[in-house]
Amino acid sequence: CSTSEVLKQGYVLDEDTLALVPVGSSREQVLLSLGTPSTTATFDNDEVFYYISQTRSRPVAFMKPRLVDQRVLAVYFSSEGMVRQIANYTLQDGRVFDLISRTTPTGGRDLTFLGQLLAGPGEGGGAVPNPFGQTSDGNPY
Amino acid sequence: CQTEPDIDITALASDIDPPDVLYNQGLANLQGGRLTEAARKFEAIDRQHPYSEFARRALVMNAFVKYRQGDYDEAVNGASRYLSLYPGDQDAAYAQYIIGLSYFRQIRDVTQDQRDSARAIQAMQAVVDRYPDSEYVEDAQAKIRFARDQLAGKEMQVGRYYLERREYVAAINRFRNVVERYPNTRQVEEALARLVEANYALGLTDEAQTAAAVLGHNYPDSQWYADSYALLQTGGLQPRENTGSWISRAGAALIGPDA
Amino acid sequence: AVVNSIQVQGNSRIDAETVRGNITIRPGQDFTNADIDESVRRLFATGLFSDIRIAQQGGALVVTVSENQILNQVVFNGNSRIRDRQLEGIVQTKPLGPYSEPLVQADIQAIRDAYAAIGRNDATVTTNTVTLADGRINLAFEVNEGDRTRISTVNFVGNQAFNDGRLREVITTKRSNFLSFLTRRDVYAEDKLRADEELLRRFYYNRGYADFQVVSSFAELDPATNEYTVTITVQEGERYNFGAVNVESSVADVNTEELQALVQSRSGATYSAEDVEDTIVAISERVADSGFPFAQVTPRGDRDFANRTISVSYLIDQGPRAYVERIEIRGNTRTRDYVIRREFDLSEGDAFNQAMVRRARERLQRLGYFGSVEISTAPGSQPDRIIIIVDVQDQPTGEFSIGAGYSTGSDGGASIEASVTERNFLGRGQFIRVAAGGGENSRSYRVSFTEPYFLGYRLAAGFDVFRVEDDRPDNYSYEQTGVTLRVAAPITNNLTAGLAYNFSETRYTGTDSSLSLAYQQGIASSPWIKSSISPTLTFNTLDDRQLPRDGIFAEAGMEVAGLGGDAEFIKFTGRANYFQLLSESQDIIGSVAVGAGHMVSLGDNARVFDQFLQGGETIRGFDARGFGPRSELLADGDRDALGGTTYFNASAEASMPMPVVPRDFGLRVAAFADAGTLYGTDLDPSVTVGGVGFDQTWRASVGASLIWASPFGPLRLDYAVPVAKEEFDDVQEFRFGASSRF
Repeated sequence: CSTSEVLKQGYVLDEDTLALVPVGSSREQVLLSLGTPSTTATFDNDEVFYYISQTRSRPVAFMKPRLVDQRVLAVYFSSEGMVRQIANYTLQDGRVFDLISRTTPTGGRDLTFLGQLLAGPGEGGGAVPNPFGQTSDGNPY
Repeated sequence: CQTEPDIDITALASDIDPPDVLYNQGLANLQGGRLTEAARKFEAIDRQHPYSEFARRALVMNAFVKYRQGDYDEAVNGASRYLSLYPGDQDAAYAQYIIGLSYFRQIRDVTQDQRDSARAIQAMQAVVDRYPDSEYVEDAQAKIRFARDQLAGKEMQVGRYYLERREYVAAINRFRNVVERYPNTRQVEEALARLVEANYALGLTDEAQTAAAVLGHNYPDSQWYADSYALLQTGGLQPRENTGSWISRAGAALIGPDA
Repeated sequence: AVVNSIQVQGNSRIDAETVRGNITIRPGQDFTNADIDESVRRLFATGLFSDIRIAQQGGALVVTVSENQILNQVVFNGNSRIRDRQLEGIVQTKPLGPYSEPLVQADIQAIRDAYAAIGRNDATVTTNTVTLADGRINLAFEVNEGDRTRISTVNFVGNQAFNDGRLREVITTKRSNFLSFLTRRDVYAEDKLRADEELLRRFYYNRGYADFQVVSSFAELDPATNEYTVTITVQEGERYNFGAVNVESSVADVNTEELQALVQSRSGATYSAEDVEDTIVAISERVADSGFPFAQVTPRGDRDFANRTISVSYLIDQGPRAYVERIEIRGNTRTRDYVIRREFDLSEGDAFNQAMVRRARERLQRLGYFGSVEISTAPGSQPDRIIIIVDVQDQPTGEFSIGAGYSTGSDGGASIEASVTERNFLGRGQFIRVAAGGGENSRSYRVSFTEPYFLGYRLAAGFDVFRVEDDRPDNYSYEQTGVTLRVAAPITNNLTAGLAYNFSETRYTGTDSSLSLAYQQGIASSPWIKSSISPTLTFNTLDDRQLPRDGIFAEAGMEVAGLGGDAEFIKFTGRANYFQLLSESQDIIGSVAVGAGHMVSLGDNARVFDQFLQGGETIRGFDARGFGPRSELLADGDRDALGGTTYFNASAEASMPMPVVPRDFGLRVAAFADAGTLYGTDLDPSVTVGGVGFDQTWRASVGASLIWASPFGPLRLDYAVPVAKEEFDDVQEFRFGASSRF
């Protein structure tokens, strides 16, 4: 049995439904046949739909899956909401670079080793009824 | 397993101390920093003189003492009971504020569940809406901003997780969520910079350029903008705002349409 | 209507302002009858008043209330089986709360239900009250617990295929036996009986009885003896086999032949609902993995009454196209978000795939960090979007445990070990353990750390630092300190590869001159440094770690010592264990184990401490280091064990639950036969002169053992008689090993 695995991620594209949305078809028709896009490029008037699918292969179970194929189907709409142009971006269009390692600081209590030991069984769950038999949302019964 | 002794309830006469004496003892203990003793005094008033005027004040003082002791659940319970019994009272704003603070103190690191941030926002928002002229409104709003930044921080943390694994769809949607729902937090700068990275890696250069343009437009001297600009430079690109794109519209929402 | 003031009458303790605060009517504002009703409802909701009347008199609204008596103290007397604290949780009447008769009645019933749940159906509860000054009351619940209601017999009517004894083992309601106070299995509960019916249905469906029905099941309480007799009437119906079984697909280019191989429900075999379910899971996983995430598998069975067969066809068709919009992780108050998220093979934006979600759930549960893991789905923002919601509940993963053990044999004796373990260190999923142990004359210390996702790969990398001090009065003592750096990588679901680097320095001291030449040579070469690399390969398909009934556990490894240090050898070792459930009704488990090892020393001769030492733990019936090559005859007439360069062993064992004792004791008996050999030596010829046992002679033994998975820890008692041995071997028929953690 081969140990390598192929992981298909993102949008599942099949060629024949693509033919259903030639240039000029309406936005609703695209939504109907291709479904909701992975992400869109416009805030409200949906200028571009992006259908993004990735294929990864993992030679052995513990390895990180390696990106072997990436397809971005971009459907550009005109201002009247008709398909103006369809473009395809592949893995070659993508760029590889190392990401910025800095992160914006955030707050909140963090666990220290002693804190974890002393904290014991973690947070007591659930509303504790107080002497009036009220649960914490305040009604008496 | 020994059985508990039977209690003969007739003998259980409750000793009654005058409420004002108890109340002043409670206050004295509070000033003296003996919190447990103060809590016991305030609870004694509640037990012996339920629903009296002193009991009302003791209830809210007790909630404060529990909060100072770090017993947040009890503080929230005491304060909520106060609000249900005396909703229109002058200390109600303070009680609501104590509830907000109790949740606020329990906010965790962004890599963990942020339900306390959400509860803190809800409670502090109640202070702002129901008691607009109380002196706690200003701090309540500051706490809301911090808690929202925590929620945005969690979205960013998950977004970065997917970005490192080059799962761009997940990353873009998470960062986009930050830009659209938490525009007035510190995280939005990084969110825009990460969008530049994600789109650029995908090969969607015009999206990357728009994101960088909005970032530059709103935060011209931010280090994130400098990094994004440098990144686009490597591909010989300029941050060019594609006005129709959602990012520029979100940017407009950030700084007001006319700016 | 409008009023200009609100007057409150009838209140003595409760402040008028509190009453006004809780009604919706305000002076000067218009109000309707609906407002009056709402106000009455809210005032009642505070629980402070037994009666409320609101009426308008002229310009004023008059609210007449009569206050409930306030409870001062609520106590419970006469209860020992259930603690006061638990009763306080069940009861709604609380100190400082209102005293209302209907509420007290409800509490009495709640207490009776609590006692019924622990098998005391005839407990009775009464209350008495004492009124104090200014309308306050003390209330006491007087509880008379009665004694345990037991179950005398559980009998079945209408069962031919399986006898009563077998069916009794299927259901959870058990007859009372002297251990019931511990197991509580003999408590009769209505819903438990319903659950038992379901267990019976599954039992029969999995054995071909597709028409099985539970006609009736009820329990009669005999008040005189306070015991239940439970009678369950069943109708088994016909026994069915599988007819034709095939896989059909309406989804293009899914090759059904390949899927046919996955089918567990073979035609001709007895019908089993479980096989059908397993087949569905197997097919849907295979289909999903081969790129059809939206495909759905639905079984269609049609029954042929004549020759009593059910033919099943598995239909694969296109399910709804749904994508994951977000994965929401909630409840993790300690474990970090990424530790949970990385167990998912699917990410946001991917096609929703039920098989992958199920696999993630299994992985999360296997982590052992969570009390509960629930994965549910919620509709997303678009019709074809789904939100996966992961609700986890962190459980304490820190553990301070003290273990005591006793084992017989020459180097046995009592031993104790204390350890602090944290399986989810700082919520980062890392494992850290500090342990210290000791026996009569040995002390050991060990620190271990493991990071399960080293550098983002699914590699479990870690290190162990250990120190052992062992000073045996009769011959020699040694101190060993060392460190192991290890990494383990899953190749497939069942196969894991491991690589470890070990460095250890051992100092020997031996004053006793009666040691054999080989040991004296070994001690002379102290301190002895070993620096070695050991790659291993582990294959594990056991279904259960504590009591495997099916599956194989096999491990093969190599240790190459000689990267610096004094020890220079290559050791090949391998072992395999195969388990098979021989009889399901009697729960007889058969297991076969084989093992082998060979050592080749590089450079000059090996030392006695590097050679393989075998004994009772491999062939039961022999003492520790009981067989294999021996040194020359020593002054005290004994010979030291020199160990060997090559060993083979094999063992066969069959275990079953102790016949007469009820199964939920966890008592099992086993019969076994062991065989093995240890031979060959790489020692310096000068130290092996006069030695014996270097040739390949097989030792064997047969025996029986008693295994008890007791609440205090596993206990094992072996009695074995060697049937083939050398006269110089050390024999030890009786072995007893117990270790308990508490």
